[in-house]
Amino acid sequence: MLLILLVFANQVELKAFDTPNDGGSSITLEWHPDTLFNSYVIFRSVDPEGNFEQICELSDRTTYFDTQVVGGEDYYYRVEARGRESAVSSYIVGPVRAFPQIFNTSRINIAVCIVVLFFAIIYYITRARRGQRLFIRKIPGITAVEEAIGRATEMGKPVLYVPGIMDIDEPETIASMSILGRVAEKTAEYGTPLYVPTSKAMVMSMAQQVVKEASIRVGRPDWFNIDNVRYLTDDQFGYVSAVDGIMVREKPATNFYLGKFYAESLILAETGFSTGAIQIAGTALPDQLPFFVAACDYTLLGEELYAASAYLSQEPVQLGSLKGQDVGKLIFVIVVILGVLDRLVGFDILYNLFNTAQQ
Amino acid sequence: MKFFDRLEKIDRRIIFFLVGLAVIIPLIIPLGLPVDITGPVQDVFDRVEELPEGSIVVVSCDYDPGSEAELSPATAAFLEHCFRKNLRVYMMGLWPAGPELGNLALESIAPTYGKVYGVDYINIGYRPGGPVMLVSLGRDFTDLVRADYAGVPIDSFPLGRAVKSARDIDLVMTLSAGDPGVLHWIIYFSARYGTEIATATTAIMAPQQYPYLSSGQLIGLLGGLKGAAEYETLVDKKARAVAGMDSQSIVHLLLVVFIVIGNIILLYQKRRK
Amino acid sequence: MKQTIPLIIVFTFGFFVIIAFFIPLRVFQDASQTFETWYTGVIAFFVFIGIFNIIKVNVNKIQRKLSDWQYSIILLFFLAFMMGAGFIGGPEGGVFDYLFEHMQIPLGATMFSLLAFFVASAAFRAFRARTPEATLLLIAAVIVMIGRVPIGYYIWKGFPNLVEWIMSVPNTAAKRGILFGADLGLISMALRVLLGIERSYMGGGRE
Repeated sequence: MLLILLVFANQVELKAFDTPNDGGSSITLEWHPDTLFNSYVIFRSVDPEGNFEQICELSDRTTYFDTQVVGGEDYYYRVEARGRESAVSSYIVGPVRAFPQIFNTSRINIAVCIVVLFFAIIYYITRARRGQRLFIRKIPGITAVEEAIGRATEMGKPVLYVPGIMDIDEPETIASMSILGRVAEKTAEYGTPLYVPTSKAMVMSMAQQVVKEASIRVGRPDWFNIDNVRYLTDDQFGYVSAVDGIMVREKPATNFYLGKFYAESLILAETGFSTGAIQIAGTALPDQLPFFVAACDYTLLGEELYAASAYLSQEPVQLGSLKGQDVGKLIFVIVVILGVLDRLVGFDILYNLFNTAQQ
Repeated sequence: MKFFDRLEKIDRRIIFFLVGLAVIIPLIIPLGLPVDITGPVQDVFDRVEELPEGSIVVVSCDYDPGSEAELSPATAAFLEHCFRKNLRVYMMGLWPAGPELGNLALESIAPTYGKVYGVDYINIGYRPGGPVMLVSLGRDFTDLVRADYAGVPIDSFPLGRAVKSARDIDLVMTLSAGDPGVLHWIIYFSARYGTEIATATTAIMAPQQYPYLSSGQLIGLLGGLKGAAEYETLVDKKARAVAGMDSQSIVHLLLVVFIVIGNIILLYQKRRK
Repeated sequence: MKQTIPLIIVFTFGFFVIIAFFIPLRVFQDASQTFETWYTGVIAFFVFIGIFNIIKVNVNKIQRKLSDWQYSIILLFFLAFMMGAGFIGGPEGGVFDYLFEHMQIPLGATMFSLLAFFVASAAFRAFRARTPEATLLLIAAVIVMIGRVPIGYYIWKGFPNLVEWIMSVPNTAAKRGILFGADLGLISMALRVLLGIERSYMGGGRE
């Protein structure tokens, strides 16, 4: 009698179901763990009466995602729990089939955020298009751009523009390219040489195009020198030593560091400081901001880097998008406050909604 | 008080020289300061302790020679722990030079535990493409990883065949010096596939990881050489990181002295005005 | 036309990848993966463009005897030498490995270690208690600097815990604030790029 009870107590309870939020390519298995056993063997068959084939053996796990299934076909499973001396099997579970979901419901929260922000931005762009004046706060680092280029021109020295060390799949680099366009317009207008050393060949290609077009826009195509926008090396510190070399040899009067930076930020900024250049930096990575703040004259903090190009353009449509972004931020701040209250009170409604780890 | 004016305009090279001395002297004459263990390092150690034998740990060497001094000691200490616990190590790298640097540690530690290449550990080398590649990798390893580091087909190794998707991995340890690195493992791997991520980062990057630690997206953190020294202490294999701690202590003290002097100068200038 | 086609490509592919993030259907995932593979392929191709640019710029410098042209010869020599070592012996080859381990690693580490010196000079110059906020920052910095190294623990056992608190509470709050703003800025910029409002990154001018 005791033996029978033990067997029942050790019976493995197995659940098999279509994995939610996937493309119909897997079935999830879950079973109740039992510490008496040290491994679980999973068997699968297309026929409940047929031959069950072992698909894997696991230890210390109570879930398994079977990704070796064909969507839309019926499968049957059983799990065998194996101990040192005994083994117990679950009932056969099935039929279960994998089928695709059209929308990943675990990401609905992200979709909501994007849609809210999208509409806020579109709304303000539309208002700006209609000619409504929008107030955007002054960003000292951006307003100093023109003054910094003017200083280099007066001193008859070049301007150095460092677009970070990452490739163009990084948003900071795209933002940097946008600002480069504006900086190139000004330097071309004043006839000041502009050096753009890059750490990635794709960024070089893009920067060459940006600087060339800017020179054409202000009617100075003769000013553009393709060799001033060049690739140095992908190696992080190799790049830094090459840029430091440019600073020490050419002594640019103005240095821009706009893009994504890592450990090289302070090495660049301190070298620039020692050559007496006016320095404007900007990055979205909080780690590097303190270094730039300590060693540069102006620093664009986080979002200011992304806003810089729109701000410099002074085009109403671009400024409208900044306003929309601010409204989006306000909405999210309210949601954060509500989320904190929600968690403190213990409702956990917002917490569960925004818990994004995929099932 | 010309002294303070002179001090204000002190040649940077004098500061550099003092820093150099503060680094070198403790290396020659060690102080043997005790290394305390912080929570985030203990968490990594505990998680590895909990993993059952045979679990698969991805060790991603996402750094290059520039940060080798800071991250190689962490790589070695972590590998030591993995092999001691009989875990299977799946090494790769999001930076071109990373797996090569990791391999130096792998090849020196694995034989001491009698581990066999392809069965207990494997190195699939550099994987280009950063975040974009990570998304694809989590979905299907077999599609992207056809050969190991030396170009041998991955299917010819038992460990190569064992990893088909993110779901076969028990833990990812990213030794990260920047991008692509820990942030991408969190966003493109952990958030999508639910894999646990631990990290060892350069000291500069460490503060940035705390939001992810508190949200549970990172299970633990080895910050800079200090983190590596703590791990070396935990696995009882004191090496390069512990040896560097005396230097680091003295340099930090020196920095505080510089800051204090800087502020005395400021006080003097304020009074004079 | 020169800008219209790229803008259409940016719009179509950008929105497709965003949509594919929410739709798990295999066809969307496969297509999205294919685009991602294309990108990886394009990146690989650009390695050659980079090398070509280095050769072109430096050969030009040597031919025209511009200032410091001698260094360009050294650069081109080592570029060819390292490539040759890699091609002949493979990445695992003796010479390539030797150069990597005994030249590139120490050179990289040397540049990285400059940070220690620059942190010292920047701290001396910039860490001054000019305002109450700067004073607060200064105190926190000193505590973290001392508490993060073994000597802090040696001086007072409570230092590491105090540091952990500073790192995980005020530091995390500030980082989250900055990240939050930066990420919203990023989404806003991404929308400007996808909708073609922002074009200066591709050399374009006003809308």
